Amino acid sequence: MQISSKHSMRMARRRENISGYLFMAPSLLFFIGFVIFPMGMCLVTSFFNYTMMDFSFIGLKNYSEMFADSVFIKSLVNTIVIVVVSVPITCVFSLWVASLIYKMKDVYTSFFRCVFYLPVVTGSVAVTVVWKWIFNNYYGLLNYVAKNLGLISTNVNWIGNSNTALGCIIMILLTTSVGQPIVLYTSALSNVDKSLIEAAQVDGATNLQTFWYIKWPQIMYTTLYILIITTINSFQCFALIQLLTSGGPNYSTSTIMYYIYYNAFKLSRYGYGSAMGIFLAAIIAIFSALQFKVAKTDNG
Amino acid sequence: MKKMLAVLLSVFMVLSLTAIAEEAVEITLWTFPVGGWSKSEVVDEILANFNEVHPNIKVTVQYLDYQSGDDQVTAAIEAGTTPDIIMEGPERLVTNWGAAGKMLDLAELWTEEAQADINAKSPAIVSACKSPDGVFYEYPLCMTTHTMTINKQYFEQADALKYLDEETRTWTTDDFVSACRALRDAGFIPGIVYCGGHGGDQGTRALAMNLYSAKFTNPEHTAYTMDSEEGIKGLTLLQDMVKEGALQADPAIVAGDEIALFCNGTAAMSFCWNAGAAETNKASLADNVTSFPMAFPSDDGVPELCGGIWGFGIFDNKDEAKAKAAVEFIRFVCDDVEQGPKSVYATSFFPVRESFGDIYAGTDKEDRAEFAIFLPFLGDYYNVTSGWTVQRAEWWNLLQRIFAGGDVAAEVAVYIENSNASIK
Repeated sequence: MQISSKHSMRMARRRENISGYLFMAPSLLFFIGFVIFPMGMCLVTSFFNYTMMDFSFIGLKNYSEMFADSVFIKSLVNTIVIVVVSVPITCVFSLWVASLIYKMKDVYTSFFRCVFYLPVVTGSVAVTVVWKWIFNNYYGLLNYVAKNLGLISTNVNWIGNSNTALGCIIMILLTTSVGQPIVLYTSALSNVDKSLIEAAQVDGATNLQTFWYIKWPQIMYTTLYILIITTINSFQCFALIQLLTSGGPNYSTSTIMYYIYYNAFKLSRYGYGSAMGIFLAAIIAIFSALQFKVAKTDNG
Repeated sequence: MKKMLAVLLSVFMVLSLTAIAEEAVEITLWTFPVGGWSKSEVVDEILANFNEVHPNIKVTVQYLDYQSGDDQVTAAIEAGTTPDIIMEGPERLVTNWGAAGKMLDLAELWTEEAQADINAKSPAIVSACKSPDGVFYEYPLCMTTHTMTINKQYFEQADALKYLDEETRTWTTDDFVSACRALRDAGFIPGIVYCGGHGGDQGTRALAMNLYSAKFTNPEHTAYTMDSEEGIKGLTLLQDMVKEGALQADPAIVAGDEIALFCNGTAAMSFCWNAGAAETNKASLADNVTSFPMAFPSDDGVPELCGGIWGFGIFDNKDEAKAKAAVEFIRFVCDDVEQGPKSVYATSFFPVRESFGDIYAGTDKEDRAEFAIFLPFLGDYYNVTSGWTVQRAEWWNLLQRIFAGGDVAAEVAVYIENSNASIK
């Protein structure tokens, strides 16, 4: 009797597993076909001198060339600057905006969410065209406003100057990055247990204490998600640069992603591009793991 | 009975042959925006003419642009989905894809008659269409010389018209400098040396080369040579002119932006102009802009202009029937006595075949004739030098570094080293 019950339980579990795998199968197939397989191909080709005319095994030569390539190093530094500057600003700004709007009436909250989410849903080409006009050296809005405010006396070539170009890229990136975090933080803050906040206030906690000891721990997982997503997006900044500066002037806005594209598509050096892609994936994985570790420790 | 069988067999064989002869073939054509060949209404008309003669060859067209076209072709090559025919110039068809073994030899199209006719126009066209080992990867349709243009109204207001020869459309380097200073003093932006990348480099190359008659490559096309005394002198003059405001340099704009700034009256000249650009931008010229195409200034007043030679290449897709159909298409479009001139007319450029004569006389595009004056200035077609893609990127970076204040000789040395290192 016991054996038969165990057997039927095993059968039921197996049936459940099979149906689970069947449900997963369509997305799993896509994941394997469009993520795992290309990643594997990328890893393999990174060990080859893979061009339009050649496909020969060269071991780690692509990797050693990468670290001796001054443009790659410059692109790596630019990428890290973008991540280091844009990720904290995106998180802090989004949290600040969300903490202001989540208490408002629903209609106002929705309005602000829409406003900040608009650049996310707008195509990157359209966003870039608008910013290109804003930064235009000859009739751009920014020069016009800055001149009228007396901040500058002559027009500044914002994206044509290597001292200001990367800053401009980061600024545009911020406008397209804050939308999703604001929506997520607004939702996370709305879900914070109100009874705990009220209890803290009754106990005489200040606003800062309430935020730090009550709200912050409860939105920690949202923060972790935002940090990781923003970090990955910042590391993979590409369309903006391709459309706006092509990595110039003199590589001052070149990022790893742009340099991968340049090598693979302009110079047809697919193997070298793959090696850089693998390196970028490794960096992103390390950064994400660190963020997980830090957030987990902080949260106990 | 035997006779009957033989007749039946013969009928069957004839029917089979007819079926083969009439077998429909579908081929694909990708075209970069070569004048009117970027417009579907123009190309559809050409295809309709072709299908009247070859009803069994269906041609599907995809239109590329210069921003992403190369990427699309590269991706297609790696995915094995290249088109059968592609329309562009020798730097891509011969130097890039041909040299990589992706294109078919077009010797079949280059008959003795064709070679003689095209050679009569310019021997440079024939040599540009074949690889160093003599394989023809392009069959040309049209050509032009790349020029610059000035806004005649601004020049008049700045009293700078005296610096140019309106009849021959030429000017000397000294006259060019004087004209730019006069424009600056009159409150105009004389010209903008764009260096943001994305094509149009022929304008900045021709400007820098001609100022002191420098050569961009050696005659054998085996080395880049702008590190010559003349090349460095020309680039130094541009740097000095930018410093004194007689020109502007802008790494944030590309050729298309510079043309737009000329058309809307912001800049008094454009360095990226030709018959096609004149046609495309005719409607967008502001009221205060009168475009007057000019040759690039040179120290001796005899410019050497860069050429544009556009035609067709066939990708090696390992399909004989499609390759044959592609050859038929190219032959019809380029060589047919009636269609050939029409195909060229659609581009707004000039025929590579001398026998086509003046195709614009008595047509709506009669004003194209003003560009014919520049054809004798066609210089060496050096764009077929190996490593062209790397050189192009290096050229933009060189200009960016020079206009950011870099030492010209040192920066040119870096450019030459990197460009020549890419020559295979």
